[in-house]
Amino acid sequence: MKKSLMILVSLALICIIVFLAACSKDKIAEADPTEGMTKITEGYAAGASAKVQVYTKETSITTGFTKLYIALYDSATGNRIEDAHIQLTPMMDMGTMMHSSPYENPVSEQAVNHLFPCSVTFIMSSMGGTWTLKIQVHNHMNDKEGVLTIPVTVNEPVKSKQKSFTAAHNGAKYFISLIEPTAASSKVGINDMEIAIYKKASMMNWPADSSLSVILTPEMPTMGHGSPNNVNPVHIGNGHYKGKVNFTMTGFWRLNLDFMSGTAVADTTQYFDVEF
Amino acid sequence: MAGFSQTQQPAIIEDTTRIVELREVTITSTQKTAKQQLINFFKANSSVTLEEILSRLPEISLIRRGSYGMEPSIRSFTGGQINVLVDGMRIHGACTDKMDPATIYIEPINLENLQVQTAITGFMSGSAIGGTLNMKMAEPDFLNVNKITGLISSGYQTAAKSFYESARLNYSTGKWAFRMSGTYRNNKNYRSGGGDIIDFSQYEKVNYSISAKYQHTLYTYFKADLLGDDGWNIGYPALPMDVGYAAARIGSLSMHRENPSKSLYKWQVKIYANKIDHSMDDTKRPNVPMHMDMPGWSKTYGAYTEAELKINQKQRLLLRADGSSTFLKASMTMYQPGELPMYMLTWPDNRKNQSGISAAWLLQIDSTLKLQVTGRTDFISYKLVSQEAKDQVSIFGYPSANRKDLLKNISAVISKKISQKIKVSASIAYVERMPTASELYGFYLFNSNDGYDYIGNPKLKIEKSLQADLSVIYNWKNNRVQLSYFYSSLFDYLTGTINSSFSTMTIGAKGVKEFINIPNASVSGVEGSVVLKPAPAIDVVSTVRYTAGKDNKGNSLPLIAPLKNTTSIRYQPKNFSVQLEAEAASKQGHINIEAGEDVTTGYSLLHIRFGYNTMILNNTIELQGGVENIFDRKYHEHLDWGNISRPGRNVYIQFRVYL
Repeated sequence: MKKSLMILVSLALICIIVFLAACSKDKIAEADPTEGMTKITEGYAAGASAKVQVYTKETSITTGFTKLYIALYDSATGNRIEDAHIQLTPMMDMGTMMHSSPYENPVSEQAVNHLFPCSVTFIMSSMGGTWTLKIQVHNHMNDKEGVLTIPVTVNEPVKSKQKSFTAAHNGAKYFISLIEPTAASSKVGINDMEIAIYKKASMMNWPADSSLSVILTPEMPTMGHGSPNNVNPVHIGNGHYKGKVNFTMTGFWRLNLDFMSGTAVADTTQYFDVEF
Repeated sequence: MAGFSQTQQPAIIEDTTRIVELREVTITSTQKTAKQQLINFFKANSSVTLEEILSRLPEISLIRRGSYGMEPSIRSFTGGQINVLVDGMRIHGACTDKMDPATIYIEPINLENLQVQTAITGFMSGSAIGGTLNMKMAEPDFLNVNKITGLISSGYQTAAKSFYESARLNYSTGKWAFRMSGTYRNNKNYRSGGGDIIDFSQYEKVNYSISAKYQHTLYTYFKADLLGDDGWNIGYPALPMDVGYAAARIGSLSMHRENPSKSLYKWQVKIYANKIDHSMDDTKRPNVPMHMDMPGWSKTYGAYTEAELKINQKQRLLLRADGSSTFLKASMTMYQPGELPMYMLTWPDNRKNQSGISAAWLLQIDSTLKLQVTGRTDFISYKLVSQEAKDQVSIFGYPSANRKDLLKNISAVISKKISQKIKVSASIAYVERMPTASELYGFYLFNSNDGYDYIGNPKLKIEKSLQADLSVIYNWKNNRVQLSYFYSSLFDYLTGTINSSFSTMTIGAKGVKEFINIPNASVSGVEGSVVLKPAPAIDVVSTVRYTAGKDNKGNSLPLIAPLKNTTSIRYQPKNFSVQLEAEAASKQGHINIEAGEDVTTGYSLLHIRFGYNTMILNNTIELQGGVENIFDRKYHEHLDWGNISRPGRNVYIQFRVYL
């Protein structure tokens, strides 16, 4: 009697395990596109019948260029919305004044791997006031439009990824963001280097800049040496500049950046620090 | 007094090889040439390290960075230009700063002999342009069945307050024979001439070996060897760091067949493996700008087979086939408080696979004329074996740093007996060598002699050389004079050149040098030796050498020793001996300033040595003593890095008991 009970229990256990295994397999097959990402917030874009979820690949949002991924769902059926037009408006309320910041709307109205990638460059942390992000959604499935405004908490990172300077050649204010390398992506060897440059045209208008050229000089301040064969970042579109930075060892590196407008010097004081 | 064995001499024209016998057991059959006598003479008073024995040979100079771990150079060829083998086995030091040439892992007590071959035939066991130094390990013997025999020795030297203790034991059952040896050395900071203590010149080490031999048939035996060497707290006064520990493990299995009546009269097969762990240490140094760890690892395995064939009365053939695989890795981690550690690979993980075949054909043309033609080809591949390594090397614009090369070496030696007293031999050789891992992949390797960081270059061409050698020997009675001249024309010579676009990595370095090939360079020299026996109890030995090296612009090559002479007179009536030894080197003014060299003044030294042996309770007791650098001269040799003074007056005593 006891024996048959044991067998029964064992069989049941095996069944459960097989079932669970099958379940988890199914999940993998579906591949959640937000796997490993952090959900910042979710809400409803009233009027567009859309639920909006905002994700980032980081664990939290910090000052500087921030890549965001927006997922849209039909608020009634819960199905994904893959075709929509999304328009961002970041806003900083400092009490006495308000200003926007650079941003990049999703390039396509078609979702990429179920998500709408976009970016906001938070030029300061939430210490200075309150950040909000207005997300306007034009749901092409039902041709309705709606708006969701979410508060965003922007922390100051350990190593700044966001700098600004007043250019010597034209007196304009430029905002520069380090996109790559990050501490996590850095390796001893050749690293992709990417920065974004925006010009402050007005409090509400921060266009991407393509007019500057960039000279990259990495150094290890502690050791007093640099690295060879770096490639200066050059403009590739939308204010993004790409180049290569070589790290000859791990540790604390300073990426010195000089900005030129033709032969005129715009600024020679900027740098980003990377430690890995 | 113990005699010297002469059993393992390779059957090649002896003028191209110099063999130093180190085993001091009496063996019946000896066929001593005058040349061996010279060498036996030099080592007879030895409580010495292997390096000291090497330094007495006219072909060899030692590059000195500390009182330990000196790097041998054969006729000014060094590093990757020569083969340094242990019993035919390849072994690669694990230190990027060459603190551990393979010679440090072997103690004289482990050795049967030292075989030094210059470039002409030295490539037989591996493509090289400067020759081969092979340390032939001692084997267990079958002389005393069911009886433990051996030697215990103990010594003390005053200059470094150093102790030397060693023992070896042999036991045989008839079919089986076993040999064990152990050595312990403990050296404090030594005292240089005039009394200054040289800080960071201390070292301590143990060396131990065991080997077993099984006589399978009359003509065949099998052998297993294990050797361990552990050194620690090894100071390098000429370098910014010392060595925390250096450990080597060397093992092999071999089969030997020797049957004089067969045409294949000698045949040997061996498989082997060795590894070295090495770690540099700066924790004992004052004013270190930044603490760092610099470990290195080397692992090699391989196999070779050697055969000697008698084609007929006049012709013999020597054959060798070998293959080996060497893995090297070294890293550096620097620690700045408050920051993440700075880590990099100084030897990015790399593997060298080598396979080669060589043959020597010996023809006795007539009773006075001999010819030897030797050839070798090596197929060598180098590759980076980790993503980390590839990422690092790619910084210098080498997306693929792997390479494959075919190396070719060929030489001819002709030797003619002009009269009963005069023998002349002439040789010519074309030889090639592979760049080393440091030259290919080195990543900011700091050279404290010239103060530059060195960067490897995976696209280097192989270094080549065309060499000629002429030697005259004059023999009469028990006396002999030999004079040799050699000239080596080097092509695609490997050296470092300043690249001012790179910034230095090492704090305080002067700049960065990259390894390159320069079109040509030359090395030439003269060596002479005189061995006289004016009376039965008196021996006089004198050697002299001079080498010159020039690059394509007429600049002197670095690390070339000046004119040097060593002359000894020994008086040995029966069991007492006394020997007076004079050592003199001229000034070296042919220097390479870019390589960090300066003029080295000449010096002359006088040493005296005594030996006495007697029998107590059926055991031979041997007492040796002496005074080196009697006049306490403060001096250094040209090849000594950092102009660190060598030991001053050194009184030594050594006591040996033969069991």
